Amino acid sequence: MQQVSGHTLKAFDEDIERLRALISQMGGLAQHAMEEAMRCLVQRDAEGALRVIEEDKKLDALEIETEKRAVQLIALRAPMAGDLRDVVAALKISGVVERIGDYAKNIAKRVPMLEHAGKIEPLSLLPEMARIAMAMVHDVLDAFVERNAEVAVQVCERDSQVDDFYDSVFRTLLTHMMENPQNIGQAAHLLFVAKNLERVGDHATNIAEMVYYAATGKHMADRPGKSAK
Amino acid sequence: MNEFSQRLGIPPLQADAPAGATKIGIRDLNFFYGKGHALRDVSFDIPTNAVTAIIGPSGCGKSTLLRSINRIYELYPDQRATGEISIDGSNVLERGFPLSDLRRRVGMVFQKPTPFSSSIRSNVGFALNYYERMSKSELEARIEDALRQAALWDEVKDKLGESALSLSGGQQQRLCIARTIAVQPEILLLDEATSALDPISTAKIEELIHELRERFTIVVVTHNMQQAARVSQRTAFFHLGELIEFGKTSEIFTNPHEQRTRDYITGRYG
Repeated sequence: MQQVSGHTLKAFDEDIERLRALISQMGGLAQHAMEEAMRCLVQRDAEGALRVIEEDKKLDALEIETEKRAVQLIALRAPMAGDLRDVVAALKISGVVERIGDYAKNIAKRVPMLEHAGKIEPLSLLPEMARIAMAMVHDVLDAFVERNAEVAVQVCERDSQVDDFYDSVFRTLLTHMMENPQNIGQAAHLLFVAKNLERVGDHATNIAEMVYYAATGKHMADRPGKSAK
Repeated sequence: MNEFSQRLGIPPLQADAPAGATKIGIRDLNFFYGKGHALRDVSFDIPTNAVTAIIGPSGCGKSTLLRSINRIYELYPDQRATGEISIDGSNVLERGFPLSDLRRRVGMVFQKPTPFSSSIRSNVGFALNYYERMSKSELEARIEDALRQAALWDEVKDKLGESALSLSGGQQQRLCIARTIAVQPEILLLDEATSALDPISTAKIEELIHELRERFTIVVVTHNMQQAARVSQRTAFFHLGELIEFGKTSEIFTNPHEQRTRDYITGRYG
């Protein structure tokens, strides 16, 4: 949105670009991990789930790399104003994206436990919930790259959809548990899956707040025309 | 961010520390070097008991502003200032304003150390003798006091009779500061005072600025933005003779409002 021209020192631009690229790369991996985890859950693919768990290590390594680069950038380039806010945001966002990867891993870990479960209805709702939550993550990371505060605000507003999904899944699972105690084990696992997805939505809004701050220098809570919650 | 700290009861950042009332009020200041127009309609208020940093690219009018505040420009025939610079409410640009009074109240330290080629003692004592009458013991005490305030005393106490030129660059600069504060001015102008010094001497002078802030109104001109960020509570950004933005240092360096300020402090200028 701002800062169209590059730095007089070109290497500074390259450093910041690399940092952004790392965040995008992490976002891509997290997205893929979540899609795979949900596919494995629906298709009861225990082997695929193991791959998801294994690949989470990449995300952990990228987070460490991002942190290292951000610290170096602060030490060596002494970024100011929007640059500084970008670097701090990148540092915090990488932690959040890593966390989203952990949720995908956690869902993948539950796949073997659900392998022989009968068909429980929310299983058809969960992939859609995951899709909405991950679309929020995808869009907010794009907003970070584009320094787009407006999109960040829109992403926050979408979180209520995920929350609504969660409420509905929660009620359905509760009903399943009450109907037949044999369902409790399976349903509890699915409840955790739903909770993880609900947390992904929350994390997307956390990222949105950082994107908003990086782009505008103001906190989203203080934005003009904000409706009181 | 200040409001957050207040709400949470966290002490503010040094850069957010409250500044005092207006000490130097500048209104519609214009400055001319012959036909060259070096400052254009500059208006802002410099607060007391705080450090105000003036930043901007070469030729933006930073040093000219300092030179206007103590009217040092009057030494040159074709330089003139119009508008108003009031210190505690009186316009010092007015013809009738007594220069010697102004120079006593406004001390200035330059980029290059400018010690007199005399002893360390007489460097500090010279202006004291000039402005005030006092006994020898009182003079010694004031010299010691000034050297202590300038964080130089321990390094020179055993050689006060030696030439000031025998001191290192950083020590000479602190001697100049001691000399300036000996006459107890109200305002201290530092024009690139650390740009020729090594990092340790620079840190000592920055610490000194931090301590002196309680008693003086300090204005520093610096090319080193990190330094401006480190030592000041208020920052003014000048560009081509105009004041582009003036505000809290913490705000200017994290979220400046003007595009030109943004470009300059993030290294996108030019």
